[in-house]
Amino acid sequence: LDEFLHSLAGSPSPAGQDPHGWRAGVDCVRANELCAAEPSCSSRYRTLRQCLAGRDRNTMLANKECQAALEVLQESPLYDCRCKRGMKKELQCLQIYWSIHLGLAEGEEFYEASPYEPVTSRLSDIFRLASIFSGMDPAASSKSNHCLDAAKACNLNDNCKRLRSGYISTCSREISASERCSRRKCHKALRQFFDRVPSEYTYRLLFCRCTDQACAERRRQTIVPSCSYEDKEKPNCLDLRGACRGDHLCRSRLADFHTNCQASFQSLTSCPGDNYQACLGSYAGLIGFDMTPNYVDASTTSITISPWCSCKGSGNLEEECEKFLRDFTENPCLRNAIQAFGNGTDVNLSPKSPSLAVTLPPKTDKSPVLTDDINDSNTIYDTSIITTCTSVQEHGSKLNKSKEQSLCYSETQLTTDIMPDQKTFVDQKGGSSLHWAGWILPFVPTLLLLLAL
Amino acid sequence: SRRKRARVRHKPCALKELEVSVSELGLGYESDETVLFRYCSGTCEAAVRSYDLSLKSMRSKKRIKKEKVRARPCCRPLAYDDDVSFLDAYNRYYTVNELSAKECGCV
Repeated sequence: LDEFLHSLAGSPSPAGQDPHGWRAGVDCVRANELCAAEPSCSSRYRTLRQCLAGRDRNTMLANKECQAALEVLQESPLYDCRCKRGMKKELQCLQIYWSIHLGLAEGEEFYEASPYEPVTSRLSDIFRLASIFSGMDPAASSKSNHCLDAAKACNLNDNCKRLRSGYISTCSREISASERCSRRKCHKALRQFFDRVPSEYTYRLLFCRCTDQACAERRRQTIVPSCSYEDKEKPNCLDLRGACRGDHLCRSRLADFHTNCQASFQSLTSCPGDNYQACLGSYAGLIGFDMTPNYVDASTTSITISPWCSCKGSGNLEEECEKFLRDFTENPCLRNAIQAFGNGTDVNLSPKSPSLAVTLPPKTDKSPVLTDDINDSNTIYDTSIITTCTSVQEHGSKLNKSKEQSLCYSETQLTTDIMPDQKTFVDQKGGSSLHWAGWILPFVPTLLLLLAL
Repeated sequence: SRRKRARVRHKPCALKELEVSVSELGLGYESDETVLFRYCSGTCEAAVRSYDLSLKSMRSKKRIKKEKVRARPCCRPLAYDDDVSFLDAYNRYYTVNELSAKECGCV
């Protein structure tokens, strides 16, 4: 069982196993080693680093030698290397990444590409793990406080308990009358918690579903916001972004957030690639940096997330600032992902979709969850229930029929949120009946519900 | 069944655990959060030393009268677990140290 859990826990697979060739899988530390072994590559790389040091892109490109170095390096393994979250030498890897990409970027871009490898695990993996670890039964405990249950699950796990206590005690330790806590140490302890504790624990604490205010306040308190989040003054969001971009780690996490949580109007869930797990992961990855996000209040009805900043004093960049802030405060992808996690639902993916075959790691072949064949089921309505609910039930103890249904109705709460997108989606992909069926099936309960009204 | 009970009573000193709410700890905190409480329990017969036998003998011979002595090893924590932090009912965080045993022994 240990081995099985380990394989599911999203531990990054070694680069060598990447089926799409070594280039896609190689990390920047390794790419740097490969480059160092090659005299022409290593000399160009050295040149480029000298070019970039303390200079902006335009001055750098004005120099012929610098330009030549950049062109040669685009052919080297350094060009498309990536980093892994929480890897050994993560900072070194990111420094190598940005040393090339800062030279390539078109100046100050609004969105930057993520230096991290794409996330291939799905939320359903986490639900399955959570149910193995704790016997979690989301349907049975609809009345209980989910955030309290999440704290219990963490306290009963030695690793989670240790690192949670670690950041809580650091973040709530008063330094002096004027200094509430050491923000720097608090952020570091939070980063350790989110980097080293498996997401089936951390997500449950961070994204628990709440129906009353005590629960929502507990959820808001998860990161000890009085120390890690709030400050005496609210800086301007673009200034905060500037400060974040001055730090390789923060810059990378922000770029990762923009890559994975950017609202997309082409997908059903509003998330890029319909990947909730990737969005939640990059959200959690921002905690413990200048751009630490949190719930702005303890509201149970609406979820509003924001970093600690405002658009006051933006001058003529007000529009850009609002756009930046809206990616947190009014982001349908992020909101849907958080709600989907709270409800224990994941997007049902058609196994026939070719893009899916690329993004899924080989290990999921063994799991029955993602390989449910839609055509095997008797009725449309049945199929939607089975496919949207198995991800939660799988490996859990026997749920009876009524529980199963109460669990699945929660899916409709999620889908009503994204109804407007559904129309455009159907229009676009309606041509292929197979795809159409695969995508629309999970929403049949909603449609039936609407008809009934 | 009698034999079984006898065997249970002779379980040697070991670590045991209990899931308890923070309020139940009796430390004055009000919180519904559940923590794992590990404690030491069991007998220490195998750990009796010449010291214990002699002390017992001294006591029975009234060579030691008024002092409080313990002529039997005791099952106690040898090390304590890391700190435990929790959020209380008033949304304040607290950290308690040396709450839970990590390792037990006869001392």
